[in-house]
Amino acid sequence: MTETPRSESSLSVQAPGRGTGRSRSERPIIFDVQGLAVNYGDFTAVAGVDIDIRQNEITAFIGPSGCGKTTVLRCFNRMNDLIETARVSGSIEYHGVDLYGEGVDPVEVRRRIGMVFQKPNPFPKSIYDNIAFGPKIAGFKGDMDELVEQSLRRAAIWDEVKDKLQDSAFALSGGQQQRLCIARAIATSPDVVLMDEPCSALDPIATLRIEELMMELKEDYTILIVTHNMQQAARVSDRTAFFTVDVGDTGMRTGRLVEFDDTDKIFVNPSEQQTEDYITGRFG
Amino acid sequence: MTTNRPDDVRQHFDAELDTLRLDSVALGALVLENCRRLAEALIENDLELAALVVEADNEIDEFYVALERRTFLTMALQQPVARDLRLLVSLTRLLYEIERSGDLVVNGAKGLLRQEGYEMSPSLRSILGRLGHMAADVFSQGLDTLRDLDKDAGVRLDAADDAVDDLVSEFYTRLAAEQERSDMHLDPAVELSRVGRYLERIADHGVNVADHVTFIVTGSFPDHQSPAVAHEDER
Repeated sequence: MTETPRSESSLSVQAPGRGTGRSRSERPIIFDVQGLAVNYGDFTAVAGVDIDIRQNEITAFIGPSGCGKTTVLRCFNRMNDLIETARVSGSIEYHGVDLYGEGVDPVEVRRRIGMVFQKPNPFPKSIYDNIAFGPKIAGFKGDMDELVEQSLRRAAIWDEVKDKLQDSAFALSGGQQQRLCIARAIATSPDVVLMDEPCSALDPIATLRIEELMMELKEDYTILIVTHNMQQAARVSDRTAFFTVDVGDTGMRTGRLVEFDDTDKIFVNPSEQQTEDYITGRFG
Repeated sequence: MTTNRPDDVRQHFDAELDTLRLDSVALGALVLENCRRLAEALIENDLELAALVVEADNEIDEFYVALERRTFLTMALQQPVARDLRLLVSLTRLLYEIERSGDLVVNGAKGLLRQEGYEMSPSLRSILGRLGHMAADVFSQGLDTLRDLDKDAGVRLDAADDAVDDLVSEFYTRLAAEQERSDMHLDPAVELSRVGRYLERIADHGVNVADHVTFIVTGSFPDHQSPAVAHEDER
């Protein structure tokens, strides 16, 4: 067994590792991204992205609007396939398998890699059916009541809805609806959950609940989150990727990954001046 | 109606960071001035000047409390990260180093005041006074690093601090010799040895200030010793 290299922490005192007891470098790689670029027709939305996503970690994508962070997130479960002009180049390996390889079924990809959106978007159905819908489609044959309860419990909303499972999901508050959507995302037993600004429509208390939930969920899942809230990235994530947007001579705006490192490092002593300027609010 | 552009808000923050840092240097300058006063009081056996040293610390304490409050307020309102965070957190620790040095100066002055009735030999007074000025020099260089955000001064200060340590050892040797061959009682001898110790510690705080500055600028403490370790032997 090789010796684990000493962490290059910027602090002379080692920051306590977050999350599971395993040290970060030991955790297996779920996604290995090399030279990722996304084009919409002639327009390059984002290019040159090299990132590895590790199991049971929360990885945050931050950066100004238009930097491509959401575009990159949507590559991880092939959501960009749904846009006709979108073309993804470079490689994303998921557990060592080319995610965009021939014979890979995008539907199966989205079952394993769930997604939670910016605005809570429950189906116009009962709370119960919101959870049961996905597994039913996927041919789930087990005890549906149990699966619904388990999913709602994991999303920390069971106690609030257990007596009104047949009520419309729209009767819930925004924060509850978002946790319901998280329950729905995990009902199909994914191993990765993608979150696209999941708290931007929520008040601080509902936001805190989602953040606490994320910390619990990462014990079982790997989480990628896009957030405009830098403090949120600092609070919840293990590693942070900072993207920026370059404006070319023709006015074309292309997203680019500037820095990807431990969140501790990014928020205490980032390597890149552009990262420092952004996180300290000096946008120039 | 006027609205603040983000740039304006951030420029205001930048200005406040500079002010806090330079005011901390100004606090240090008050301590430095008092330390020089103490050195003179030791050389001249000037008890009036020693009493003035004790008195002058009140102003230092008030300034310290106000600066610390402003530092905390800035942290609370601006939610700093990265270099801003390193600066503000380090300032709270730097302020402590500086304030603590001020207290050590006072302790030294009180030590001299308690000698009333006993007069040190000119040679002891001279060496103790020299020690006071040397410690003040190191402390002053520490403040310079904070004023200039000079990350590389640590090595230079280490050498200066070593010279202070050597002089303290020499002082102890002379003190012991003088106590043995003269009518000097044990009490004043112990008291004077403490004064030597206080002055030595002031120089150490100067080195710590430089180390914090290295952390502010680079994100790491210099290799030789972290200030947390340096505090362990303080009494």
